[in-house]
Amino acid sequence: MNWTAKPRLSSTGAPGAAARKPGPATSVSPSARVSNGLKEFLWLISDVPRGRVLDLGPIWQSTVSFFVEKGYRVSSEDLLRAWKDFLTTEEERLRTAAVGEGGERLSPSRLAEKFLETAVQYREESYHGVLAWDMLDYFDPAAVPPLVKRLSSLVHPGGAVLALFHSRPAERFHRYRVVDAQSVELIPAPTIAVHAHVFQNREILGLFDEFRSSKSFVGRDQVREALYVK
Amino acid sequence: MWRKPNEDKLSEPLAAPVPFKSEEPVKPQSPQAPQVPSSFAAPSMTSSPAPSSPSLSKISAGLKIQGELSGDTDLYIDGSVQGKVRMMNGRVTVGPNGRVQAEIEARQISIDGTVEGNLKASESAQFGSSSKVVGSVMSPRVGVADGARLRGKIETIRTPQTPKPTAAKGAAMEDEAETIGSKVE
Repeated sequence: MNWTAKPRLSSTGAPGAAARKPGPATSVSPSARVSNGLKEFLWLISDVPRGRVLDLGPIWQSTVSFFVEKGYRVSSEDLLRAWKDFLTTEEERLRTAAVGEGGERLSPSRLAEKFLETAVQYREESYHGVLAWDMLDYFDPAAVPPLVKRLSSLVHPGGAVLALFHSRPAERFHRYRVVDAQSVELIPAPTIAVHAHVFQNREILGLFDEFRSSKSFVGRDQVREALYVK
Repeated sequence: MWRKPNEDKLSEPLAAPVPFKSEEPVKPQSPQAPQVPSSFAAPSMTSSPAPSSPSLSKISAGLKIQGELSGDTDLYIDGSVQGKVRMMNGRVTVGPNGRVQAEIEARQISIDGTVEGNLKASESAQFGSSSKVVGSVMSPRVGVADGARLRGKIETIRTPQTPKPTAAKGAAMEDEAETIGSKVE
């Protein structure tokens, strides 16, 4: 992937974004974060007329408006919440199952496979961009590979996945929403999952080995924004 | 670099229409609209005032309806509906207790309860903070309150106001129409 072949986008965010200049994360506001990963992500999908974007975080008006106003079609699935709901259901199943009737505890990878039988059900190669945010940090490490494999199958060749990884256990649980073309807002939220794993660079590269190109940015807050191009 | 993606193909409706069968008769309510909790707080959406509809029908909590509901009135659902809801000139509101397993087609759609099915609004679709929706959404304007839960696709469509669209516009509308009733993602 030639990252410099295409002219870069200028500041083309939501209304009011034009006046905002990129700078250190602290210069925007305490909850906002300049995101070079998002900027690059948008640049990568900018050639696609009426492209499809899959947001795996909760649905926010600002994120939807941002992409819809640019002509994208947006799908939304709060995967972390779905995972939590799934685990709760599984626990309930275990609790109520009679002896010898499937009451055994499943391994994390088997759990992930079972979860994916109902979650992230989209056509293969149907998305040009996937926003995974930092959710992978919150899944059991053994459940992450099948999940990333599924995400990989959803992405159109040339499409991109934006994922965030914490370099140390996250102090607080946040959800993310797009503010403009180069910044995201971190919304403090009630913890629905505990930070499960700090991925090392080698692990991350291994997870996304089906992608042909990667690029990462490390912020001052020690969050790595990683962009993978299929 | 990119090639145009294939559009979703039309798929079967979520539930096959069945003859209208209600467990209790639906009585048209008084013209006054029920106190619909308005948890919608999306700044970019300005919901137009309720139309002067001949009447407002209400499916109260505890009432279950299976089948196809159609008409020109406004409809408030706080009970359970399975099948299909078509109120082309009206507003369909799903209250906080409402549980709908149906495609909904209306001028305005407002959700505060639980819906499983595709939604198509010719004017606007709004999702309150207590809404839980699984299905695709097609509307010229979409409003989402913080806390809303949506699993599905959002697509904005143009309001068909021009009687004679140009060839290009016609193509665009056709392109968009292709996804109507698309499989729930």
